[in-house]
Amino acid sequence: MSEKGKIEIDNITKIFRREDEDIETLTALDEVSLNVEPGEFVSIVGASGCGKSTLLRIIAGLETPTIGEVRKDGDTITGTDETRGLVFQDHSLYPWISVWNNVTFGLKSLGKYKEKKEYAEKLLELVGLSQFKRSYPSQLSGGMSQRIALIRALVTEPDVLLLDEPLGALDAFTRMNIQDVLIDLWKETKSTMILITHDVDEAIYLSERVVVMTPRPGRIVDELKIEMSYPRERSHSQFVEYRNKILKKLDYAHEQSIGYYI
Amino acid sequence: MSKEANHINLSSKELNELERADESSALRLIRRLIAALPIFVAIIHLLEYNYYPNYRLNTCTNIYNYFIGFLLIAYTVFYFISFISREIYDVVYHKAAFYTVLFFLLLAYDMATLKTGRLALPYFPWVDSILNAMIDDRVKLLDCVRNSMLLLFNGYFKGVVTGLICGIGAGWSKKICYWIYPVTKVLGAVPSTTYMPIVVMVAASLFQGASFIIALGVWFPVTMTAMTGVQSVRKQYYEAARTLGTGKPGILFRVAIPAAMPNIFAGLTQGMSVACLTLVVAEMMGVESGLGWYVNWQKSWAAFSKMYGAIIIICIAFILTNGLLNLIKKRVLRWQRD
Repeated sequence: MSEKGKIEIDNITKIFRREDEDIETLTALDEVSLNVEPGEFVSIVGASGCGKSTLLRIIAGLETPTIGEVRKDGDTITGTDETRGLVFQDHSLYPWISVWNNVTFGLKSLGKYKEKKEYAEKLLELVGLSQFKRSYPSQLSGGMSQRIALIRALVTEPDVLLLDEPLGALDAFTRMNIQDVLIDLWKETKSTMILITHDVDEAIYLSERVVVMTPRPGRIVDELKIEMSYPRERSHSQFVEYRNKILKKLDYAHEQSIGYYI
Repeated sequence: MSKEANHINLSSKELNELERADESSALRLIRRLIAALPIFVAIIHLLEYNYYPNYRLNTCTNIYNYFIGFLLIAYTVFYFISFISREIYDVVYHKAAFYTVLFFLLLAYDMATLKTGRLALPYFPWVDSILNAMIDDRVKLLDCVRNSMLLLFNGYFKGVVTGLICGIGAGWSKKICYWIYPVTKVLGAVPSTTYMPIVVMVAASLFQGASFIIALGVWFPVTMTAMTGVQSVRKQYYEAARTLGTGKPGILFRVAIPAAMPNIFAGLTQGMSVACLTLVVAEMMGVESGLGWYVNWQKSWAAFSKMYGAIIIICIAFILTNGLLNLIKKRVLRWQRD
Protein backbone atom coordinates (compact mmCIF):
# COMPACT_ATOMS: atom_id res chain seq x y z
CA MET A 1 0.00 0.00 0.00
CA SER A 2 2.75 2.44 0.90
CA GLU A 3 4.33 1.63 -2.46
CA LYS A 4 1.40 3.27 -4.22
CA GLY A 5 0.40 6.91 -4.34
CA LYS A 6 3.15 8.54 -6.38
CA ILE A 7 1.99 11.70 -8.14
CA GLU A 8 3.92 13.21 -11.02
CA ILE A 9 2.80 16.60 -12.26
CA ASP A 10 4.52 17.07 -15.56
CA ASN A 11 4.75 20.64 -16.77
CA ILE A 12 1.03 21.45 -16.77
CA THR A 13 -0.67 24.64 -17.89
CA LYS A 14 -4.34 25.37 -17.29
CA ILE A 15 -6.10 28.17 -19.14
CA PHE A 16 -9.69 29.13 -18.34
CA ARG A 17 -12.15 30.94 -20.56
CA ARG A 18 -13.48 34.05 -18.89
CA GLU A 19 -17.23 34.29 -18.65
CA ASP A 20 -17.36 38.07 -19.06
CA GLU A 21 -14.74 38.52 -21.77
CA ASP A 22 -14.35 37.04 -25.21
CA ILE A 23 -10.80 38.01 -25.96
CA GLU A 24 -8.87 37.52 -22.75
CA THR A 25 -8.35 34.18 -21.07
CA LEU A 26 -7.06 33.40 -17.60
CA THR A 27 -3.93 31.36 -17.08
CA ALA A 28 -4.50 29.66 -13.74
CA LEU A 29 -1.43 27.45 -13.84
CA ASP A 30 1.71 28.13 -15.83
CA GLU A 31 4.09 25.23 -16.48
CA VAL A 32 3.78 23.66 -13.08
CA SER A 33 5.80 20.55 -12.26
CA LEU A 34 5.82 18.67 -8.97
CA ASN A 35 6.55 15.14 -7.82
CA VAL A 36 5.05 13.67 -4.70
CA GLU A 37 6.43 10.41 -3.31
CA PRO A 38 4.22 7.60 -2.01
CA GLY A 39 3.14 8.22 1.56
CA GLU A 40 4.50 11.76 1.59
CA PHE A 41 2.67 14.67 3.23
CA VAL A 42 2.97 17.75 1.03
CA SER A 43 1.35 21.14 1.61
CA ILE A 44 0.83 23.77 -1.04
CA VAL A 45 0.58 27.32 0.27
CA GLY A 46 -0.16 30.49 -1.61
CA ALA A 47 -2.38 33.54 -1.73
CA SER A 48 -5.88 33.14 -3.12
CA GLY A 49 -5.97 33.00 -6.88
CA CYS A 50 -2.59 31.27 -7.18
CA GLY A 51 -4.22 28.23 -8.77
CA LYS A 52 -3.59 25.84 -5.90
CA SER A 53 -7.19 24.64 -5.85
CA THR A 54 -7.15 24.19 -9.62
CA LEU A 55 -4.00 22.10 -9.26
CA LEU A 56 -5.72 19.88 -6.68
CA ARG A 57 -8.84 19.51 -8.82
CA ILE A 58 -6.65 18.42 -11.75
CA ILE A 59 -4.99 15.77 -9.58
CA ALA A 60 -8.45 14.62 -8.46
CA GLY A 61 -9.51 14.33 -12.10
CA LEU A 62 -12.28 16.92 -11.84
CA GLU A 63 -10.48 19.21 -14.33
CA THR A 64 -8.13 18.41 -17.18
CA PRO A 65 -4.96 20.40 -17.82
CA THR A 66 -4.85 22.42 -21.05
CA ILE A 67 -1.25 21.34 -21.69
CA GLY A 68 0.77 18.62 -20.00
CA GLU A 69 -0.33 15.69 -17.91
CA VAL A 70 -0.54 14.36 -14.39
CA ARG A 71 0.34 10.74 -13.61
CA LYS A 72 -0.43 8.61 -10.63
CA ASP A 73 1.84 5.60 -10.23
CA GLY A 74 2.81 6.00 -13.88
CA ASP A 75 -0.74 6.13 -15.31
CA THR A 76 -2.07 9.34 -16.82
CA ILE A 77 -5.04 10.72 -14.85
CA THR A 78 -8.11 11.09 -17.07
CA GLY A 79 -10.96 11.21 -14.56
CA THR A 80 -11.97 10.67 -10.98
CA ASP A 81 -11.62 7.40 -9.17
CA GLU A 82 -11.61 6.12 -5.62
CA THR A 83 -7.79 5.90 -5.43
CA ARG A 84 -7.67 9.70 -5.16
CA GLY A 85 -9.95 10.96 -2.39
CA LEU A 86 -10.90 14.60 -1.99
CA VAL A 87 -12.00 16.62 1.03
CA PHE A 88 -13.53 20.05 0.54
CA GLN A 89 -13.40 23.20 2.64
CA ASP A 90 -17.05 22.84 3.57
CA HIS A 91 -17.52 19.22 4.54
CA SER A 92 -20.12 18.44 1.82
CA LEU A 93 -21.59 15.60 3.85
CA TYR A 94 -24.94 14.39 2.52
CA PRO A 95 -27.52 15.84 4.91
CA TRP A 96 -30.19 13.27 4.01
CA ILE A 97 -28.34 10.23 5.33
CA SER A 98 -26.89 9.41 8.73
CA VAL A 99 -23.25 9.84 9.69
CA TRP A 100 -22.67 6.11 9.26
CA ASN A 101 -24.20 6.08 5.78
CA ASN A 102 -22.06 9.07 4.86
CA VAL A 103 -18.91 7.33 6.06
CA THR A 104 -19.72 4.15 4.16
CA PHE A 105 -21.04 5.93 1.04
CA GLY A 106 -17.95 5.09 -1.02
CA LEU A 107 -17.87 1.49 0.21
CA LYS A 108 -21.41 0.98 -1.04
CA SER A 109 -20.50 2.52 -4.40
CA LEU A 110 -17.65 0.04 -4.74
CA GLY A 111 -19.59 -2.91 -3.35
CA LYS A 112 -17.10 -3.32 -0.52
CA TYR A 113 -19.46 -2.54 2.36
CA LYS A 114 -19.24 -5.96 3.98
CA GLU A 115 -15.49 -6.41 3.85
CA LYS A 116 -14.59 -2.85 4.93
CA LYS A 117 -17.32 -2.24 7.50
CA GLU A 118 -15.00 -2.85 10.42
CA TYR A 119 -12.38 -0.54 8.99
CA ALA A 120 -15.01 2.22 8.84
CA GLU A 121 -15.87 1.57 12.49
CA LYS A 122 -12.19 1.75 13.37
CA LEU A 123 -11.72 5.11 11.66
CA LEU A 124 -14.86 6.43 13.33
CA GLU A 125 -13.39 5.33 16.63
CA LEU A 126 -10.08 7.00 15.79
CA VAL A 127 -11.71 10.42 15.31
CA GLY A 128 -13.80 9.84 18.45
CA LEU A 129 -17.25 10.02 16.88
CA SER A 130 -18.53 6.44 17.22
CA GLN A 131 -21.50 7.54 19.32
CA PHE A 132 -22.72 9.82 16.51
CA LYS A 133 -23.17 7.02 13.97
CA ARG A 134 -26.93 7.42 13.80
CA SER A 135 -27.00 11.23 13.90
CA TYR A 136 -27.70 13.32 10.85
CA PRO A 137 -24.99 15.76 9.68
CA SER A 138 -27.16 18.73 10.70
CA GLN A 139 -26.78 17.60 14.32
CA LEU A 140 -22.97 17.84 14.22
CA SER A 141 -20.71 20.84 14.80
CA GLY A 142 -18.42 22.11 12.04
CA GLY A 143 -15.39 20.34 13.45
CA MET A 144 -17.21 17.03 13.86
CA SER A 145 -18.55 17.26 10.30
CA GLN A 146 -15.08 17.83 8.93
CA ARG A 147 -13.73 14.82 10.81
CA ILE A 148 -16.51 12.71 9.29
CA ALA A 149 -15.70 14.13 5.84
CA LEU A 150 -12.05 13.11 6.35
CA ILE A 151 -12.86 9.51 7.18
CA ARG A 152 -15.53 9.34 4.48
CA ALA A 153 -12.73 10.04 2.00
CA LEU A 154 -10.29 7.64 3.73
CA VAL A 155 -12.54 4.65 4.21
CA THR A 156 -12.09 3.46 0.62
CA GLU A 157 -8.33 3.44 1.33
CA PRO A 158 -7.26 5.88 -1.38
CA ASP A 159 -3.59 5.96 -2.31
CA VAL A 160 -3.72 9.75 -2.34
CA LEU A 161 -5.85 12.05 -0.19
CA LEU A 162 -6.35 15.54 -1.57
CA LEU A 163 -7.27 18.18 1.01
CA ASP A 164 -8.70 21.45 -0.29
CA GLU A 165 -8.38 23.78 2.72
CA PRO A 166 -10.36 21.33 4.84
CA LEU A 167 -9.78 23.35 8.01
CA GLY A 168 -10.27 26.78 6.48
CA ALA A 169 -13.77 27.35 7.83
CA LEU A 170 -13.08 26.21 11.41
CA ASP A 171 -12.22 28.22 14.51
CA ALA A 172 -8.64 28.20 15.83
CA PHE A 173 -9.13 25.59 18.59
CA THR A 174 -11.03 23.13 16.44
CA ARG A 175 -8.47 23.63 13.72
CA MET A 176 -5.53 22.66 15.93
CA ASN A 177 -7.47 19.68 17.21
CA ILE A 178 -8.19 18.41 13.72
CA GLN A 179 -4.62 19.00 12.62
CA ASP A 180 -3.62 16.36 15.16
CA VAL A 181 -6.43 14.10 13.96
CA LEU A 182 -5.08 14.51 10.44
CA ILE A 183 -1.59 13.42 11.49
CA ASP A 184 -3.08 10.37 13.26
CA LEU A 185 -5.06 9.47 10.15
CA TRP A 186 -2.01 9.89 7.94
CA LYS A 187 0.08 7.61 10.18
CA GLU A 188 -2.76 5.09 10.31
CA THR A 189 -3.54 4.95 6.60
CA LYS A 190 -0.07 5.71 5.17
CA SER A 191 -1.77 7.47 2.24
CA THR A 192 -0.06 10.21 0.31
CA MET A 193 -1.45 13.54 1.53
CA ILE A 194 -1.60 16.72 -0.54
CA LEU A 195 -2.94 19.66 1.45
CA ILE A 196 -3.92 23.05 0.09
CA THR A 197 -3.88 25.83 2.67
CA HIS A 198 -3.28 29.54 3.10
CA ASP A 199 -2.22 28.98 6.71
CA VAL A 200 1.58 28.78 6.79
CA ASP A 201 1.65 27.44 10.37
CA GLU A 202 -0.69 24.64 9.41
CA ALA A 203 1.51 23.69 6.47
CA ILE A 204 4.66 23.56 8.61
CA TYR A 205 2.91 21.77 11.48
CA LEU A 206 1.57 19.00 9.27
CA SER A 207 3.74 18.36 6.27
CA GLU A 208 7.11 16.97 5.30
CA ARG A 209 7.41 19.37 2.42
CA VAL A 210 5.88 22.79 1.77
CA VAL A 211 5.43 24.05 -1.78
CA VAL A 212 5.01 27.81 -2.22
CA MET A 213 2.93 29.13 -5.12
CA THR A 214 2.41 32.65 -6.43
CA PRO A 215 -0.61 33.99 -8.29
CA ARG A 216 -1.22 35.45 -11.74
CA PRO A 217 -0.17 33.18 -13.32
CA GLY A 218 0.00 30.30 -10.84
CA ARG A 219 3.59 29.11 -10.48
CA ILE A 220 5.64 27.17 -7.97
CA VAL A 221 8.36 29.46 -6.65
CA ASP A 222 9.88 27.43 -3.83
CA GLU A 223 9.91 24.10 -2.06
CA LEU A 224 10.98 23.54 1.53
CA LYS A 225 11.64 20.27 3.31
CA ILE A 226 10.48 20.55 6.92
CA GLU A 227 13.00 18.56 8.87
CA MET A 228 11.35 18.32 12.28
CA SER A 229 10.00 15.27 14.05
CA TYR A 230 6.32 14.84 14.90
CA PRO A 231 4.57 16.09 16.97
CA ARG A 232 5.92 19.53 16.18
CA GLU A 233 6.18 22.43 18.58
CA ARG A 234 4.72 25.62 17.16
CA SER A 235 6.96 27.85 19.26
CA HIS A 236 10.16 25.95 18.45
CA SER A 237 12.88 28.19 16.96
CA GLN A 238 13.19 25.96 13.90
CA PHE A 239 9.41 26.19 13.34
CA VAL A 240 9.59 29.98 13.54
CA GLU A 241 12.49 30.00 11.12
CA TYR A 242 10.53 28.00 8.55
CA ARG A 243 7.58 30.29 9.01
CA ASN A 244 9.65 33.41 8.40
CA LYS A 245 11.23 31.88 5.33
CA ILE A 246 7.88 30.96 3.79
CA LEU A 247 6.23 34.25 4.69
CA LYS A 248 9.12 36.10 3.11
CA LYS A 249 8.63 34.11 -0.07
CA LEU A 250 4.90 34.84 -0.07
CA ASP A 251 5.41 38.49 0.74
CA TYR A 252 7.99 38.89 -1.95
CA ALA A 253 5.65 37.22 -4.38
CA HIS A 254 2.87 39.54 -3.27
CA GLU A 255 4.99 42.66 -3.92
CA GLN A 256 5.98 41.32 -7.28
CA SER A 257 2.43 40.70 -8.36
CA ILE A 258 1.40 44.20 -7.30
CA GLY A 259 4.29 45.58 -9.33
CA TYR A 260 3.06 43.51 -12.22
CA TYR A 261 -0.29 45.25 -12.08
CA ILE A 262 1.11 48.77 -11.66
CA MET B 1 -36.25 19.94 45.16
CA SER B 2 -34.60 21.87 47.96
CA LYS B 3 -34.39 25.66 47.92
CA GLU B 4 -30.65 25.57 47.38
CA ALA B 5 -30.92 23.25 44.42
CA ASN B 6 -28.50 24.30 41.74
CA HIS B 7 -29.84 25.18 38.33
CA ILE B 8 -27.68 22.88 36.31
CA ASN B 9 -29.07 19.96 34.31
CA LEU B 10 -32.72 20.96 34.70
CA SER B 11 -35.17 18.93 32.71
CA SER B 12 -37.28 21.00 30.35
CA LYS B 13 -40.26 20.29 32.59
CA GLU B 14 -38.44 21.76 35.57
CA LEU B 15 -37.47 24.77 33.47
CA ASN B 16 -41.14 25.28 32.60
CA GLU B 17 -42.05 25.24 36.27
CA LEU B 18 -39.22 27.64 37.07
CA GLU B 19 -40.42 30.08 34.44
CA ARG B 20 -44.01 29.86 35.70
CA ALA B 21 -43.06 30.21 39.37
CA ASP B 22 -44.25 33.81 39.64
CA GLU B 23 -47.70 33.19 38.11
CA SER B 24 -50.29 34.26 40.69
CA SER B 25 -53.03 31.82 41.74
CA ALA B 26 -55.68 34.25 40.43
CA LEU B 27 -54.09 34.15 37.00
CA ARG B 28 -54.02 30.36 37.12
CA LEU B 29 -57.72 30.25 37.96
CA ILE B 30 -58.57 32.61 35.10
CA ARG B 31 -56.59 30.41 32.71
CA ARG B 32 -58.43 27.32 33.89
CA LEU B 33 -61.74 29.10 33.31
CA ILE B 34 -60.71 30.20 29.82
CA ALA B 35 -59.78 26.60 29.06
CA ALA B 36 -63.25 25.53 30.24
CA LEU B 37 -65.10 28.13 28.16
CA PRO B 38 -65.87 25.79 25.20
CA ILE B 39 -67.61 23.42 27.64
CA PHE B 40 -69.93 26.20 28.86
CA VAL B 41 -70.75 27.38 25.35
CA ALA B 42 -71.42 23.83 24.17
CA ILE B 43 -73.79 23.19 27.08
CA ILE B 44 -75.61 26.47 26.42
CA HIS B 45 -75.89 25.42 22.79
CA LEU B 46 -77.40 22.04 23.74
CA LEU B 47 -79.90 23.75 26.05
CA GLU B 48 -80.79 26.21 23.31
CA TYR B 49 -81.21 23.42 20.76
CA ASN B 50 -83.49 21.35 23.00
CA TYR B 51 -85.54 24.00 24.82
CA TYR B 52 -85.79 27.04 22.53
CA PRO B 53 -88.95 26.55 20.39
CA ASN B 54 -88.45 25.84 16.68
CA TYR B 55 -89.56 28.35 14.06
CA ARG B 56 -92.97 27.42 12.61
CA LEU B 57 -92.91 23.89 11.18
CA ASN B 58 -89.15 23.33 11.42
CA THR B 59 -88.34 19.92 12.82
CA CYS B 60 -85.20 18.47 14.28
CA THR B 61 -83.93 15.14 15.58
CA ASN B 62 -81.57 13.86 18.25
CA ILE B 63 -78.76 13.30 15.75
CA TYR B 64 -77.50 16.83 16.30
CA ASN B 65 -77.56 16.26 20.07
CA TYR B 66 -75.30 13.24 19.56
CA PHE B 67 -73.01 15.25 17.32
CA ILE B 68 -72.58 18.19 19.71
CA GLY B 69 -72.59 15.83 22.67
CA PHE B 70 -69.72 13.86 21.18
CA LEU B 71 -67.64 17.01 20.63
CA LEU B 72 -68.49 18.20 24.13
CA ILE B 73 -67.48 14.91 25.77
CA ALA B 74 -64.25 14.71 23.75
CA TYR B 75 -63.26 18.22 24.80
CA THR B 76 -64.23 17.64 28.41
CA VAL B 77 -62.10 14.49 28.56
CA PHE B 78 -59.09 16.45 27.35
CA TYR B 79 -59.90 19.24 29.80
CA PHE B 80 -59.75 16.84 32.71
CA ILE B 81 -56.59 15.15 31.46
CA SER B 82 -55.05 18.63 31.37
CA PHE B 83 -55.14 18.71 35.19
CA ILE B 84 -52.61 15.86 35.17
CA SER B 85 -50.51 16.66 32.13
CA ARG B 86 -48.94 20.05 31.60
CA GLU B 87 -48.39 19.31 27.89
CA ILE B 88 -52.08 18.55 27.32
CA TYR B 89 -53.00 21.65 29.32
CA ASP B 90 -50.88 23.84 27.05
CA VAL B 91 -52.61 22.39 23.99
CA VAL B 92 -56.11 22.67 25.51
CA TYR B 93 -55.50 26.25 26.65
CA HIS B 94 -54.16 27.15 23.21
CA LYS B 95 -57.19 25.62 21.44
CA ALA B 96 -59.81 26.90 23.90
CA ALA B 97 -60.48 30.18 22.08
CA PHE B 98 -60.89 28.36 18.78
CA TYR B 99 -63.45 25.86 20.13
CA THR B 100 -65.33 28.57 21.98
CA VAL B 101 -65.83 30.46 18.73
CA LEU B 102 -66.64 27.23 16.86
CA PHE B 103 -69.43 26.27 19.31
CA PHE B 104 -70.65 29.85 19.32
CA LEU B 105 -70.87 29.92 15.51
CA LEU B 106 -72.80 26.62 15.53
CA LEU B 107 -75.15 28.14 18.07
CA ALA B 108 -75.59 31.32 16.01
CA TYR B 109 -76.22 29.33 12.83
CA ASP B 110 -78.76 27.15 14.60
CA MET B 111 -80.55 30.23 15.89
CA ALA B 112 -80.55 31.86 12.46
CA THR B 113 -81.96 28.79 10.70
CA LEU B 114 -83.86 26.29 12.82
CA LYS B 115 -85.00 28.59 15.59
CA THR B 116 -85.86 31.90 13.93
CA GLY B 117 -85.85 31.22 10.20
CA ARG B 118 -83.81 34.33 9.42
CA LEU B 119 -81.82 32.29 6.94
CA ALA B 120 -84.59 30.56 5.05
CA LEU B 121 -85.01 27.15 3.53
CA PRO B 122 -84.32 25.62 1.07
CA TYR B 123 -80.91 27.34 0.74
CA PHE B 124 -79.93 27.23 4.39
CA PRO B 125 -80.73 23.89 6.04
CA TRP B 126 -79.74 23.57 9.69
CA VAL B 127 -76.91 21.24 10.64
CA ASP B 128 -79.24 18.57 12.01
CA SER B 129 -80.96 18.28 8.64
CA ILE B 130 -77.60 18.04 6.84
CA LEU B 131 -76.47 15.28 9.20
CA ASN B 132 -79.69 13.40 8.63
CA ALA B 133 -79.40 13.79 4.87
CA MET B 134 -75.87 12.34 5.02
CA ILE B 135 -77.01 9.40 7.11
CA ASP B 136 -80.07 8.68 4.93
CA ASP B 137 -78.05 8.71 1.73
CA ARG B 138 -74.94 7.04 3.15
CA VAL B 139 -74.81 4.15 0.68
CA LYS B 140 -74.85 6.48 -2.31
CA LEU B 141 -72.41 8.88 -0.62
CA LEU B 142 -69.93 6.14 0.26
CA ASP B 143 -70.06 4.95 -3.32
CA CYS B 144 -69.35 8.50 -4.47
CA VAL B 145 -66.44 8.83 -2.05
CA ARG B 146 -65.00 5.58 -3.39
CA ASN B 147 -65.37 6.68 -7.02
CA SER B 148 -63.90 10.11 -6.32
CA MET B 149 -60.90 8.73 -4.47
CA LEU B 150 -60.33 6.12 -7.16
CA LEU B 151 -60.30 8.80 -9.84
CA LEU B 152 -58.22 11.19 -7.75
CA PHE B 153 -55.48 8.69 -6.98
CA ASN B 154 -55.55 7.14 -10.43
CA GLY B 155 -54.91 10.54 -12.02
CA TYR B 156 -52.55 11.73 -9.31
CA PHE B 157 -50.43 8.61 -9.49
CA LYS B 158 -50.09 8.79 -13.28
CA GLY B 159 -49.23 12.49 -13.08
CA VAL B 160 -46.64 11.99 -10.35
CA VAL B 161 -44.89 9.10 -12.07
CA THR B 162 -44.62 10.82 -15.45
CA GLY B 163 -43.81 14.13 -13.75
CA LEU B 164 -40.97 12.61 -11.74
CA ILE B 165 -39.53 10.85 -14.77
CA CYS B 166 -39.70 13.99 -16.92
CA GLY B 167 -38.54 16.36 -14.18
CA ILE B 168 -35.64 14.30 -12.90
CA GLY B 169 -34.62 13.48 -16.47
CA ALA B 170 -34.72 17.12 -17.51
CA GLY B 171 -32.79 18.20 -14.44
CA TRP B 172 -30.19 15.51 -14.98
CA SER B 173 -29.57 15.80 -18.70
CA LYS B 174 -29.44 18.90 -20.88
CA LYS B 175 -30.63 16.87 -23.87
CA ILE B 176 -33.82 15.73 -22.12
CA CYS B 177 -34.36 19.27 -20.82
CA TYR B 178 -34.14 20.55 -24.41
CA TRP B 179 -37.28 18.56 -25.29
CA ILE B 180 -39.21 18.74 -22.00
CA TYR B 181 -38.80 22.43 -21.30
CA PRO B 182 -40.85 23.77 -24.27
CA VAL B 183 -43.64 21.29 -23.42
CA THR B 184 -43.83 22.63 -19.86
CA LYS B 185 -43.94 26.17 -21.26
CA VAL B 186 -47.01 25.36 -23.36
CA LEU B 187 -48.89 23.06 -20.99
CA GLY B 188 -47.96 24.93 -17.82
CA ALA B 189 -49.57 28.19 -18.88
CA VAL B 190 -53.02 26.64 -19.40
CA PRO B 191 -55.15 24.97 -16.69
CA SER B 192 -55.60 21.34 -17.68
CA THR B 193 -59.40 21.57 -17.28
CA THR B 194 -59.40 23.67 -20.46
CA TYR B 195 -58.93 20.44 -22.43
CA MET B 196 -61.87 18.78 -20.68
CA PRO B 197 -64.37 19.11 -23.60
CA ILE B 198 -61.85 17.62 -26.06
CA VAL B 199 -60.99 14.77 -23.74
CA VAL B 200 -64.66 14.01 -23.07
CA MET B 201 -65.15 13.64 -26.82
CA VAL B 202 -62.02 11.66 -27.61
CA ALA B 203 -61.42 9.51 -24.55
CA ALA B 204 -62.48 5.85 -24.50
CA SER B 205 -64.24 6.30 -21.17
CA LEU B 206 -65.09 9.31 -19.05
CA PHE B 207 -63.10 7.86 -16.18
CA GLN B 208 -59.96 7.54 -18.32
CA GLY B 209 -60.50 11.01 -19.73
CA ALA B 210 -60.91 12.65 -16.34
CA SER B 211 -57.95 10.69 -15.01
CA PHE B 212 -55.87 12.02 -17.90
CA ILE B 213 -56.93 15.60 -17.16
CA ILE B 214 -55.97 15.22 -13.49
CA ALA B 215 -52.65 13.60 -14.44
CA LEU B 216 -51.92 16.48 -16.80
CA GLY B 217 -52.60 19.02 -14.06
CA VAL B 218 -50.37 17.15 -11.60
CA TRP B 219 -47.64 16.52 -14.15
CA PHE B 220 -46.72 20.18 -14.55
CA PRO B 221 -45.86 21.19 -10.95
CA VAL B 222 -44.17 17.84 -10.28
CA THR B 223 -42.03 18.14 -13.42
CA MET B 224 -41.04 21.73 -12.70
CA THR B 225 -40.09 21.20 -9.07
CA ALA B 226 -38.23 17.95 -9.73
CA MET B 227 -36.32 19.63 -12.56
CA THR B 228 -35.27 22.68 -10.54
CA GLY B 229 -34.57 20.40 -7.58
CA VAL B 230 -32.09 18.27 -9.51
CA GLN B 231 -30.60 21.27 -11.29
CA SER B 232 -29.87 23.10 -8.05
CA VAL B 233 -28.01 20.25 -6.34
CA ARG B 234 -24.65 21.56 -5.13
CA LYS B 235 -21.85 20.61 -7.51
CA GLN B 236 -19.68 19.49 -4.59
CA TYR B 237 -22.15 16.71 -3.74
CA TYR B 238 -21.53 15.30 -7.21
CA GLU B 239 -17.79 15.83 -7.02
CA ALA B 240 -17.58 14.16 -3.61
CA ALA B 241 -19.50 11.16 -4.95
CA ARG B 242 -17.26 10.93 -8.00
CA THR B 243 -14.06 10.91 -5.95
CA LEU B 244 -15.62 8.19 -3.79
CA GLY B 245 -15.84 5.97 -6.86
CA THR B 246 -19.58 6.37 -7.48
CA GLY B 247 -20.79 5.75 -11.03
CA LYS B 248 -23.42 7.76 -12.92
CA PRO B 249 -26.45 5.69 -11.85
CA GLY B 250 -25.23 5.81 -8.25
CA ILE B 251 -24.89 9.59 -8.40
CA LEU B 252 -28.40 9.92 -9.87
CA PHE B 253 -30.15 7.67 -7.36
CA ARG B 254 -28.05 8.25 -4.26
CA VAL B 255 -27.19 11.95 -4.63
CA ALA B 256 -29.30 13.86 -7.17
CA ILE B 257 -32.73 12.46 -6.28
CA PRO B 258 -32.36 12.53 -2.46
CA ALA B 259 -30.93 16.06 -2.67
CA ALA B 260 -33.94 17.14 -4.76
CA MET B 261 -36.46 15.54 -2.37
CA PRO B 262 -37.48 18.76 -0.54
CA ASN B 263 -38.28 20.33 -3.92
CA ILE B 264 -40.03 17.21 -5.15
CA PHE B 265 -42.30 17.17 -2.10
CA ALA B 266 -43.21 20.80 -2.67
CA GLY B 267 -44.30 19.70 -6.14
CA LEU B 268 -46.22 16.69 -4.81
CA THR B 269 -48.19 18.93 -2.42
CA GLN B 270 -48.86 21.49 -5.13
CA GLY B 271 -49.86 18.65 -7.46
CA MET B 272 -52.31 17.29 -4.90
CA SER B 273 -54.14 20.59 -4.61
CA VAL B 274 -54.32 20.82 -8.42
CA ALA B 275 -55.61 17.22 -8.51
CA CYS B 276 -58.37 17.95 -5.97
CA LEU B 277 -59.44 21.04 -7.87
CA THR B 278 -59.40 19.26 -11.21
CA LEU B 279 -61.29 16.28 -9.79
CA VAL B 280 -64.22 18.39 -8.64
CA VAL B 281 -64.36 20.35 -11.89
CA ALA B 282 -64.13 17.15 -13.96
CA GLU B 283 -66.88 15.49 -11.94
CA MET B 284 -69.13 18.51 -12.23
CA MET B 285 -68.53 18.81 -15.98
CA GLY B 286 -68.88 15.30 -17.26
CA VAL B 287 -68.06 12.29 -15.15
CA GLU B 288 -71.30 10.71 -13.92
CA SER B 289 -70.17 9.59 -10.49
CA GLY B 290 -68.26 10.91 -7.54
CA LEU B 291 -68.83 13.66 -5.01
CA GLY B 292 -68.57 16.53 -7.47
CA TRP B 293 -71.28 14.96 -9.61
CA TYR B 294 -73.39 14.24 -6.50
CA VAL B 295 -73.20 17.90 -5.46
CA ASN B 296 -74.36 19.05 -8.88
CA TRP B 297 -77.08 16.41 -9.11
CA GLN B 298 -78.58 17.19 -5.69
CA LYS B 299 -78.45 20.89 -6.46
CA SER B 300 -80.58 20.33 -9.55
CA TRP B 301 -83.14 18.57 -7.34
CA ALA B 302 -82.92 21.47 -4.87
CA ALA B 303 -81.87 18.94 -2.22
CA PHE B 304 -79.65 21.41 -0.45
CA SER B 305 -79.16 19.40 2.73
CA LYS B 306 -77.68 16.56 0.65
CA MET B 307 -75.58 19.01 -1.34
CA TYR B 308 -74.10 20.55 1.81
CA GLY B 309 -73.49 17.08 3.19
CA ALA B 310 -71.51 16.09 0.10
CA ILE B 311 -69.52 19.34 0.20
CA ILE B 312 -68.60 18.67 3.83
CA ILE B 313 -67.48 15.15 2.88
CA ILE B 314 -65.36 16.55 0.02
CA CYS B 315 -63.66 18.90 2.49
CA ILE B 316 -62.98 16.08 4.95
CA ALA B 317 -61.67 13.77 2.21
CA PHE B 318 -59.26 16.38 0.87
CA ILE B 319 -58.07 17.36 4.33
CA LEU B 320 -57.35 13.71 5.13
CA THR B 321 -55.57 13.18 1.80
CA ASN B 322 -53.34 16.19 2.36
CA GLY B 323 -52.71 15.09 5.92
CA LEU B 324 -51.56 11.70 4.65
CA LEU B 325 -49.23 13.34 2.15
CA ASN B 326 -47.79 15.54 4.90
CA LEU B 327 -47.14 12.50 7.07
CA ILE B 328 -45.19 10.85 4.26
CA LYS B 329 -43.30 14.08 3.67
CA LYS B 330 -42.33 14.40 7.33
CA ARG B 331 -41.09 10.83 7.34
CA VAL B 332 -39.02 11.15 4.16
CA LEU B 333 -37.61 14.59 5.01
CA ARG B 334 -36.98 13.88 8.70
CA TRP B 335 -33.31 14.75 8.19
CA GLN B 336 -34.30 18.38 7.58
CA ARG B 337 -35.45 18.98 11.17
CA ASP B 338 -33.30 19.63 14.24
